[in-house]
Amino acid sequence: MTASDQTVVSQRLLAMLNYGYLLLVMLIIAAILSAAMTLQYANGELPCPLCLLERVAMFGVCFGIMMNFRRGFSYQNTGFSLLFAIVLLVVAVRQSLLDIYPRPGHEYIGSAIFGIHMPVWSIIIALCLLTAYAIKLAILGGDEYLRAADVTEFPAIKKAADVLSVYVIALCVINLVSVVLQCGLGECHTFNYKLLQ
Amino acid sequence: MMVAVFATMSLALICGWFDRRLMAVALLVLCLTLSIGLFLFEIYSPETGFRMPWIQTEFEPVPTQA
Repeated sequence: MTASDQTVVSQRLLAMLNYGYLLLVMLIIAAILSAAMTLQYANGELPCPLCLLERVAMFGVCFGIMMNFRRGFSYQNTGFSLLFAIVLLVVAVRQSLLDIYPRPGHEYIGSAIFGIHMPVWSIIIALCLLTAYAIKLAILGGDEYLRAADVTEFPAIKKAADVLSVYVIALCVINLVSVVLQCGLGECHTFNYKLLQ
Repeated sequence: MMVAVFATMSLALICGWFDRRLMAVALLVLCLTLSIGLFLFEIYSPETGFRMPWIQTEFEPVPTQA
């Protein structure tokens, strides 16, 4: 094997790692959103306005990842994901600061998971996302290998990404219907589904 | 407002899936703008806003006794 062949192989491996990494991030976010929706529909824990904005931010992160799989890797898509990760962090920190001082009508909404409430989990998730992107950029570095290898060269990853993307879109549409039922066209409250009264 | 936020995000994802990149990005930016607007409304609204009087974010001189 010549040096040139070795370079091609290593670039292909880096590209596969990059796409696998993105797929894993989208899978984790989809699992988190699924868990939140399960708690909403199974336990009747209606999300507050800031909780809903946190979900939107997670969908925004997924948008950037999905576009990388649809049209090839681009740092613009990475930028979209990072923007929404920052939005998630800001909203989650604000909500945690709000609920950190318990008083009537302003306690943490929903049940705690592993002893941690949802807004605090959202801070952890946002920090993990930002850290994950920072580590990916630091380790996988430049984009020469991504130009050299398209995602279609990895059929298994491409297929999994397509299935996951459709699942995330379905989750977002279900959330839209749910928000219509909960909030109507006005402000959102956590008492009940406004349109089902 | 929240409906508009989720509607634009859903449409952005759907347009992205069908490779309408320009439309998808425009909808995403609109969604981001609406989200920030709604967030600011939620935290600053005098009627329904969430206030945090226990956190001091501006300098307030402490009155001293003579």
